[in-house]
Amino acid sequence: MTTIAPVASRRRRTDRAMRGVLLVCTLLALVPLVFVVYYLLEQGLGALSWSFFTSDPSGRFLGDPGGVRSAIIGTVLIVGLASLLAVPLGIGIALYLVEYGKASRFAHVVRYFVDVMTGVPSIVFGLFIYIVLVLSGIGGNFAGWKGSIALALLMLPVVSRSAEVVLTLVPDSLRESALALGSPRWRVVAKVVLPTAMPGLVTGSLLAIARGAGETAPLLFTAFAVNSTTWNLGNQMNSLPIQIFNDVRQAQSNIVERAWGAALTLVLMILALTLLARLIQRRSRIA
Amino acid sequence: MRTTQLLTALLSIAVLGFGVAACGSDSSSGGGGSSSSSTTTGGGSLNGAGATFPLPVYQEWAARFKDKSGTSVNYQGIGSGGGIAQFTAGTVDFGATDSAMKDEEITAAKKKGDPVHVPTVFGAVTVSYNVKGVDKGLKLDGSTVADIFLGKVKTWDDQAIASQNSGAKLPSTKITVCHRSDESGTTKNFTQFLGVYSKVWESGPGSDKSVEWPTGTGAKGNDGVAACIKQNDGAIGYVEQAYALANKFTFASVKNKSGAYVEPTLESTSAAGEGLQVPADLRFSPIDAPGKTAYPITAATFLLVYQDVCKAGLSSGKAQSLKAWLDYAEGDGQGAAKELYYAALPDAVHTAAMKKVAGLQCNGQPIKSA
Amino acid sequence: MEAATIQHGGRPDTGRPPPSRLPDRLLRWGLTGIAAGVLVLIGYFFIRLYLESRPVFSAYGIIDFVLTDAWIPSKDRFGALPLIVGTLITSGIALLIGVPVAVASALYVTELAPVRIRQPLIILVELLAAVPSVVYGLWGVFVLIPKLKPAEQWVSDSFSFLPFVGGTVAGPNYFIAGLILAIMILPIVAAISREVMATVPVEQKEAALALGATRWEMIRMAVLPYSRAGISGAAMLGLGRAIGETIAATLVIGNAPQIADSIFGQGYTLAAVIANEFGEAAATPTHRAALIAAGLVLFVLTLVINFVARYFVNRSQRAMTRSVPTGMAG
Repeated sequence: MTTIAPVASRRRRTDRAMRGVLLVCTLLALVPLVFVVYYLLEQGLGALSWSFFTSDPSGRFLGDPGGVRSAIIGTVLIVGLASLLAVPLGIGIALYLVEYGKASRFAHVVRYFVDVMTGVPSIVFGLFIYIVLVLSGIGGNFAGWKGSIALALLMLPVVSRSAEVVLTLVPDSLRESALALGSPRWRVVAKVVLPTAMPGLVTGSLLAIARGAGETAPLLFTAFAVNSTTWNLGNQMNSLPIQIFNDVRQAQSNIVERAWGAALTLVLMILALTLLARLIQRRSRIA
Repeated sequence: MRTTQLLTALLSIAVLGFGVAACGSDSSSGGGGSSSSSTTTGGGSLNGAGATFPLPVYQEWAARFKDKSGTSVNYQGIGSGGGIAQFTAGTVDFGATDSAMKDEEITAAKKKGDPVHVPTVFGAVTVSYNVKGVDKGLKLDGSTVADIFLGKVKTWDDQAIASQNSGAKLPSTKITVCHRSDESGTTKNFTQFLGVYSKVWESGPGSDKSVEWPTGTGAKGNDGVAACIKQNDGAIGYVEQAYALANKFTFASVKNKSGAYVEPTLESTSAAGEGLQVPADLRFSPIDAPGKTAYPITAATFLLVYQDVCKAGLSSGKAQSLKAWLDYAEGDGQGAAKELYYAALPDAVHTAAMKKVAGLQCNGQPIKSA
Repeated sequence: MEAATIQHGGRPDTGRPPPSRLPDRLLRWGLTGIAAGVLVLIGYFFIRLYLESRPVFSAYGIIDFVLTDAWIPSKDRFGALPLIVGTLITSGIALLIGVPVAVASALYVTELAPVRIRQPLIILVELLAAVPSVVYGLWGVFVLIPKLKPAEQWVSDSFSFLPFVGGTVAGPNYFIAGLILAIMILPIVAAISREVMATVPVEQKEAALALGATRWEMIRMAVLPYSRAGISGAAMLGLGRAIGETIAATLVIGNAPQIADSIFGQGYTLAAVIANEFGEAAATPTHRAALIAAGLVLFVLTLVINFVARYFVNRSQRAMTRSVPTGMAG
């Protein structure tokens, strides 16, 4: 196609230069990734071992610092509960906005405040939950489920926003033809809109969950930290991000090594989520 | 058809989510009535938070106490300021600080009951540094240390340092100051010492758990400052001795009240307790102790509990565990502390501390030993 | 042109609604209920934070709180200027570095890259988003700070004639924090830019090419004008994330409540101060109020950014409908 018209050499040079710039920028964007992955593997792989995953942090100042079992379990539980709260609610809001609210005044208000919510720093959600749920002593003091709620607040607008974008991209012609065939609105939503948007919804949700899993700030003074493993979301809970955050600030090299190992673990878990998102996306594309 | 399955899955997730949320709040409101004991079963654990100064020894104690009693003590080092705040807010079973609570902090805590200071160990605040080429302990007096932390002494070969260390090879490396960014009892003790020897310090930054630092990098906790020292060539900071030793830092011999340069050791730390006058509420500080062999920046560290632990919100089971933990700290713990270079309490303080622990109550009754 | 009218919520109504049935109404009111519930929650969130922060505003006044350069909790003095300046400097650096790179990579991926490597490139850029902020912090502390320090010192010495450059480079500093924030916002900005660029109608691009435009001219005349609004939105989101980013920033900015005179100096950000201090502020009402007020200032910053960004987005959308045809005619 580009060869249809002859192009002046100056324009061709600009073209080539700009293409080069864009390529260089793309490579530049990948440089940090390469370095982060390199150091994660270089520093983190050595820390990984069977006992790293099966023992709790010992808390001992000298000697063996122990592993990260309690942190892994804590992260899975806290993020799991947070997702169960944020994903349905977020998609619900997006459905309301796209299918019913549209350009109404109320929808504008909802959309605006969900937008505002995306701008709320994660630490402020942590602060809010700390004041409302921890200091007030509702259900004990620090607890895993309070961390979940803080995370859910953070994930909710992300889910909702991405879902709204995806739902908006569902062509109106699809809705119109279904409606024209006499389908009720709910069937159109259930049979046409959601299925069409499903890959995007799942991807968006999983990305939000992945983002939640890596968040440290909302857990700082909600789930707090503990060394031993607990399965009870009503207790103080350890989590990978908090474990890393605490270990980064240590000077002893064996604890810093655990931080790298925990970081590698966390990144791998998030990668697994992302991979899952893509698998589901691909599969439903075929359907 | 697959899409409908996904849809059902989504809906069931939604239902599940609300279900779990409901359960979560149900169980929590049920537990709320019986206070913080709801977070544990049968007093099997204690939650504490505060000073990082004694963190190494408290964690060691916790590990040994668990072997002995089965109770796990979860101690988080969040700084003395955080320890007092969380203790006052009642979010922890015990707090910890290494500078005694101020009067207004006591007043704030009175809402839950009378706070009791239980001194546990003495430790040395070392002036640690990381300077390539200087691997011996330098001699420093209080006013020089103050000038370094004021940013007046900018390089390691400054005359102020060199004049006290004839013969030492000093590089012209720039000094990087590492200090605490959080509210810290270690900071309070260290700045109190600086204030004694530097008028400029006293009238400038002053002495408190956090001060307005004229220069330097802020880091959280003794561990954070240790990391800061380790990561920067030319860095100087103040950390508890256990941190300095674990990281193989070189630290200064500091000039004490009687004019001798004293290296922080177990002996010189203990010596700071000699002839100490201790008030009835045990809010004392051994900073700049008069003893000839005393290390001048020696600090005492305290556990914080309420006089009536049950009225402050603990179950009677937890009250027993807490008392056992404090008994351990004043008993076997004293010996274990030495392994981490913390000094045991001087006799007078130790006796007073044990009396405080024995006097703790649960709903007006003495706490039975478990 | 049909596609152009699909924008944020501005969907034209699809005609007369079908007769309302029970499931219809359930769905409708259920969803409305969720939306309303979330609105109530956010409302409570704001009101609670506002009430909690009042002590500090009544003690200092909003202007004094925001414009005083003194954050000294021990003396009960709370002026947030150093925190605000730190937040703005670091996110400014993040935008300056992050957005051009992100947009360029998005352009390359959507318009220039051979089809075979498009998907791998997209995945790679997205992987940047899979790295949690605490891991960037870890990496920043142990890799970026020590490795970049000599280079920063060289820049600081060689370009000291520039404003805000010069002096001794501190390990953790504004620039390092900004750089890490740039990396962190890059995938988001790139992803949204890509999405927007993918919606540029093929006819427009083909029309440009058919008229003899080179690839770059096609990008400049068809792709960029069409997606300018979306790119602004992407940058806006990136800015929001940079401003609120807490953990990585607190690990690499130095946590010094001061306004440094160089971008290689140490500072503090609003989010970092909250993370560091809210555990110890529980029992001191003014301190607690000051931290919540810092959080509120973060909101207001975001709100203003949102508002301004929206204004530009709207304007560029209106301009686009005119400029696209003229661009093509030229």
